[in-house]
Amino acid sequence: MVAVTLNHYILLASVLFGIGAIGFVTRRNAIILFMSVELMLNAVNLMLVAFSRFKADMAGQVMVLFIYAVAAAEVAVGLAILISLFRHVKGVDINRFNLLKH
Amino acid sequence: MDIYFWFFALVAVASGIFMVTAREPLPGALGLLTTFISLASLYLHLHAPLVAIFQITIYAGAILVLVVFVIMLLMTPDEELSVRQYNLSYKSMGAIAGVAMTALLLVGVRGIACIVGEKAMPSDFGQPGLIGKLLYSDFLLHFEVVSVLLLVALVGAIYISKRNL
Repeated sequence: MVAVTLNHYILLASVLFGIGAIGFVTRRNAIILFMSVELMLNAVNLMLVAFSRFKADMAGQVMVLFIYAVAAAEVAVGLAILISLFRHVKGVDINRFNLLKH
Repeated sequence: MDIYFWFFALVAVASGIFMVTAREPLPGALGLLTTFISLASLYLHLHAPLVAIFQITIYAGAILVLVVFVIMLLMTPDEELSVRQYNLSYKSMGAIAGVAMTALLLVGVRGIACIVGEKAMPSDFGQPGLIGKLLYSDFLLHFEVVSVLLLVALVGAIYISKRNL
């Protein structure tokens, strides 16, 4: 079995990002859409940490900590918007979120 | 150490696919939790113990609990949460877009990796003390901006979720 290199981690992170992207486009449940975005953020984090390890540069790990803060802010605001929308349309199906269309 | 990488990479991809294809959001959240924990194990493999700890406490601890809380809050028995995208064009376009995005990312980042090359790792790599030093010297401005961002998000979340908006 070959040794684990940077390319293995790039492949893994790309596949995870692709799974998140496919889930974001094909699902209709707003909560699962939300979790797909989290998966994509995690794929980018994995890529940053892998580059940090194989380039021997600690700045990548510091950037991941900043991404954690941004993700926490995104989740707080996003879920608040979701609850507010749920009160208006009584559902989490994104095809019913068409208030701006009409 | 190779089997360690392959095991957790397989678990991460499998639980990611499970999360995306789950009929109900709650099993999907559990799949996402499995992905987070296996990614934390991979961070340990990459000599990033502090990032692994934050992955568990922030993602698996705080963010996922918030998501599960919202699922419990919004899930009513008569609500059709498991309805899928029946329109085939969404599915096919989504699959094409996802695969194309993965391929593009893979080729692009692999090219970047070829350009920047690899370096030997120093013996004290990944020590939390070094991350703290970087955080309060080179990244001090970013640190302050992120703290303001968190404050704004806090105020915004409270304002949006007020009952009579």
